[in-house]
Amino acid sequence: MKFRSKIVDVSCLSHFSRIVTTISKLTKTCTLRFTDDKLYFILSDKVANGGVSMWCELQQGNFFDEFQMEGVSAEHNDIYLEFMPENLSRALKTAQNAKVVKIKLTKKHCPCLTVAVELPSLSSSSRIVTHDIPVGVIPRKLWSDFREPSVPDFDVSIYLPALKTMKSVVERMKNLSNYVIIETNRNGEMNLKIETDLVSVTTHFKELGNPPWVFEDASQGSSQDRDPETMAEARVDIRKLQQFLAGQQVSPTKAICNIISKRIVHFLLLHEDVSLQYFIPALA
Amino acid sequence: MRVCRKERGSLFVLHFNALNSWVLGKAIHSLSRIGDEVYFEPLENGLSLRSVNSSRSAYACFLFAPLFFQRYEYPVASDEDQDTNEPFHCKVLMKSVLNVFRSLSSLEKTVEKCRISLNPQTSRLVIQLLCKYGVVKTHNLSFQECESLQAVFSKDVCPNLLRASARVLVDAVVHFPATLSEVTLAPSCGGRVIFRNYLEEETDPSKMMLTEMALNEDEFLHFQISKESEITFCLKEFRGLLSFAESSSLPVSIHFDIAGRPVVLSLEDPVLEVHFVLATLSEAEVSGSQKLTGGSCTQDGNRLSPSEAVGDDFQSDDIDSYMIAMETTAVEEATVNGCQLPHSPTFPLKGSKRTEGSSSTLLKPGGRRKDLLMLSNNKPESESEGENEEPGEVPGTPPNKKFRSLFFGSVLSQMDALHHTGLSEEVLAEASDVEEDS
Amino acid sequence: MPLSTQPETGDDQYILVANLDNVRNLSNILKAIHFKDHATCFATKNGIKVTVENAKSMQANAFIQAGIFQEYTIKEDSVVFRINLTVLLDCLTIFGTNALPASSTALRMCYKGYGHPVTLFLEEGGVVTVCKIHTQEPEDTLDFDFCSTNVINKIILQSEGLREAFAELDMTSEVLQITMSPDKPYFRLSTFGDSGSAHLDYPKDSDLMEAFHCSQTQTNRYKLSLLKPSTKALALSCKVSIRTDNRGFLSLQYMIRNEDGQICFVEYYCCPDENIDEREP
Repeated sequence: MKFRSKIVDVSCLSHFSRIVTTISKLTKTCTLRFTDDKLYFILSDKVANGGVSMWCELQQGNFFDEFQMEGVSAEHNDIYLEFMPENLSRALKTAQNAKVVKIKLTKKHCPCLTVAVELPSLSSSSRIVTHDIPVGVIPRKLWSDFREPSVPDFDVSIYLPALKTMKSVVERMKNLSNYVIIETNRNGEMNLKIETDLVSVTTHFKELGNPPWVFEDASQGSSQDRDPETMAEARVDIRKLQQFLAGQQVSPTKAICNIISKRIVHFLLLHEDVSLQYFIPALA
Repeated sequence: MRVCRKERGSLFVLHFNALNSWVLGKAIHSLSRIGDEVYFEPLENGLSLRSVNSSRSAYACFLFAPLFFQRYEYPVASDEDQDTNEPFHCKVLMKSVLNVFRSLSSLEKTVEKCRISLNPQTSRLVIQLLCKYGVVKTHNLSFQECESLQAVFSKDVCPNLLRASARVLVDAVVHFPATLSEVTLAPSCGGRVIFRNYLEEETDPSKMMLTEMALNEDEFLHFQISKESEITFCLKEFRGLLSFAESSSLPVSIHFDIAGRPVVLSLEDPVLEVHFVLATLSEAEVSGSQKLTGGSCTQDGNRLSPSEAVGDDFQSDDIDSYMIAMETTAVEEATVNGCQLPHSPTFPLKGSKRTEGSSSTLLKPGGRRKDLLMLSNNKPESESEGENEEPGEVPGTPPNKKFRSLFFGSVLSQMDALHHTGLSEEVLAEASDVEEDS
Repeated sequence: MPLSTQPETGDDQYILVANLDNVRNLSNILKAIHFKDHATCFATKNGIKVTVENAKSMQANAFIQAGIFQEYTIKEDSVVFRINLTVLLDCLTIFGTNALPASSTALRMCYKGYGHPVTLFLEEGGVVTVCKIHTQEPEDTLDFDFCSTNVINKIILQSEGLREAFAELDMTSEVLQITMSPDKPYFRLSTFGDSGSAHLDYPKDSDLMEAFHCSQTQTNRYKLSLLKPSTKALALSCKVSIRTDNRGFLSLQYMIRNEDGQICFVEYYCCPDENIDEREP
């Protein structure tokens, strides 16, 4: 298994940093997967996460000037690693004015992802900072735990409102309640509702628009017959929703929310070169 | 600018202008990274502010020359005054002084003058800030008279010296997290200087990120390595010095020797001298050996082997040459509670136990002093608790077990040896007459 | 822009309706008295007064006069209810606290009377939030009986000079001692904490002093923990008037200019603490 990469462009570095920082705010540990054209940050839904799962995918060509990898075998040309994104975020944070950043897989006292940063200096030679981030190699037999999630057979799909507004509202609601109900319909309306003994608060978003999904399979189109006013709803742990919204560093090009009533809420954020999916299970 | 000797006993008057009030505030903030008390002494050669940490493994001293002040009147012994035969030394709680200079930004914006004096009637150290709009802030701080705190160290005998601008050093340590306790400095004769984060023995290396930062020799104003070595010392305390150095734009000199011997960080300016003396981990500990029993060192191939083995037995070593000694102003007597104790040439071991919260009585020779041995004696107890310390303890405070006290190496190691070989005899344990009645 | 989203059915059921184009003109003032969870609201045709008390020896009041609101309708002589101020503030600031001049949140506050919740409609950029906050039985509030005829000493200071100093008061001191005098030190705030005493002196001819009327030397002590919350009101205000009467009661009145330049007042009353022992200077 080999992996070597290099980032030279300062805006690519800053963009990549921001993505890693977002991931680090969403989860403490996650799986990092390399193929020859993509990079993935994956969190599979375990009880330990409270059933939350995440799938983030980047086109490596949009970030790296050099990217060479050799997977476990020619047939299975992937590398799966377990690591703490916080470490990578920290390593990249102080590298913002770097001339070059190299990231490679190494074996030190244990397998590591080594980040080597060349920084400008007052002298003839550059300053070099290296960070050895310990990683765990995930054996092939466990790879099936990290399969790409399919878009759920949702009841309603809707475009999200401005994330900034949603974030402010959810942050305040978190002070008042532990749970929030997310309701959406095919008329472009979304409500966020909390209700406790002391207070009830409902925020109404309108004219959001519903994305025009094209279904390959005719049976999936069953939701087309749905009454546009009927709300799909899911009650979720408000901290998980707040954590997802608070982690976002950049406004996405497209932001979509899919709900299967009483089952799951699926967020899909698309940027030019990276996509992020986040699943929050509904509570009874 | 007036400089004069105050004839009367221990009175003194110090006046600072606006900018220097801010510098004083910055110095206090810097000292607060070291210890809980500020030792305050207006001397003939200037005002000295010092602090030492509880494990005596870090010491800092700021010496402001008389020229730093708008007015400088220091106390001297007067012949008539029988009680005062020495200049004024006192210590004040760090948090009290820090409270006076808490907000550096408001200090910068509003303070026009600062005045420090002693009010003999009320026994208070008076710090007055004269601010904009005629506003006057007066702080009357209680203090404890005490012996002079002086560390004896000689940076000139250190074989290694690195000097760099504060900016370069700040840029080097920025890559390490704020919570990191210790950092290793490893200059090589190949012309590179490496900073590395130090992982404590208990931490699992497969869980921690290792960071290494290499600077080239030519980034240093001075690069002299006569004895190749790696030293590991407390980062929080180092950063305390750097933050002051950066604001004063003075270059930082790092004088050091082999692992185990203290590192001296200094800043110099015509009106100000700053010294930070920090203990460093000895080679035995850095190599990850189990405590002190047997003194076995597992040699880690990546580490530099020390040019001289620093064993656990310090008895035979010349204490002066590598330890920082604490000098106190009292006379030597080497008995404590009637027991003859190992006599150290540099620090007399005095009798009476440290008294808490005593009123500000003047020192008499052989009078109330910290019982230095008592302090070190406390270590074995805290060590045994410390064995199982959580990594989440206060960052930056070197765990007692790791850092040899700068001052009491021989005595301490003897205590340790006793402790680890199962002898629980404590030299100064108080006899507790516990009667077991039915 | 007035809220015109949905016409409320049964609007005539409300005994109190108040509209504000910028909700911060209400939320900021309320933050200046937010040191306890519960507050009592008194509404009359003159406006709304919100009261918070502590330890039966201190009271803070915020006044938002009717003229501040874009619409203010009250159907009874007086409307009183008790409400959770923490919850009310979370609702008023539901769209965040960033004061961007371009975006302002509009508020419509409605109350049907005893036994009903207070209903808030907040709107920003087309998004509407509806909050229903339960109310409680109002409790009697203290009457400090502070009248100007009994005032012995009065000064008016520019808040700028007092703000930082107040925020830095030594909290290990149980008391805040206030000395007001026609002679030196004129106006002095003192604390007696673990490390010693501290005095903050303002001369009568300081540029910060807008008015100085002290006829008699008075030194009074108040519990610092009761007065510390007034730091918030000080931070928002441009001027503060400090008065003591013949009983040693303290009145602090803060003049606050809101984002539209309108003036509102917040006042703090405090009884002197008789039980504190004399401490050394």
